[in-house]
Amino acid sequence: MAPTTISNQIRALRFHHGEMTQQELAVQIGVSRQTVNAIEAGKYSPSLEVAFRIARVFDKPLEDVFQFDAGDGPQRG
Amino acid sequence: MSYIVDIMSNIPVKSDIAVRWMGASFEERSVWIQLFSMVLILGGYFLAAWQMLSHGMTVLVPYVPVFAVAVTLMVIVMAVGHAAVAIASRPEGRDERDRLIEWRAESNSGWLVGAGVILGILAMIASVPNVWTAHLLFLSLFLSEVLKCVLQLVYYRRGM
Repeated sequence: MAPTTISNQIRALRFHHGEMTQQELAVQIGVSRQTVNAIEAGKYSPSLEVAFRIARVFDKPLEDVFQFDAGDGPQRG
Repeated sequence: MSYIVDIMSNIPVKSDIAVRWMGASFEERSVWIQLFSMVLILGGYFLAAWQMLSHGMTVLVPYVPVFAVAVTLMVIVMAVGHAAVAIASRPEGRDERDRLIEWRAESNSGWLVGAGVILGILAMIASVPNVWTAHLLFLSLFLSEVLKCVLQLVYYRRGM
């Protein structure tokens, strides 16, 4: 299974928000701690809704939390 | 004796499994319980059924009580397993990742049921005894569920 092309800064943001735990973030965004762990590790790309919730928790725009590496991926047209 | 216990506790595979189990969500543990109970109990049913088939028992009725016992046992093992896991760690509830993993695993394992149905139809055309056809269909359903659980565990561990 290929890792996602979406990277994120969640671990750093948690650290800068009073060393927030994965469990605390999970409760605030309504997913399990394991899902937060999978998102941080790049094993799972969250839905837009969860992505926005994470950004809201850290009071950051979405682009500051998630980055998309387009690379040589497929293009239409 | 304590030396042996000390060595056993330091085996990396054992500690790795323990760490993975402790870090797993309730949903992932639930999949492990389903897989374990299905393989153990329904696998046992298929072994028993194979013995009966190889002894020439071609009437379907004698298989029914064996099947009923297997299903009852499976329900009990699953209920006890889930209760034990729920007591050990509070269930967090299913989230979007759990649902997506289940959908993807189901999507990638459903072909086995389809293959079983096709083979079942071919068996009926070839006038194969009903007892074989019934077990072929049930086997395809069983294998499909086992594959689904295995894929779910792979997606939980390796990501998707």
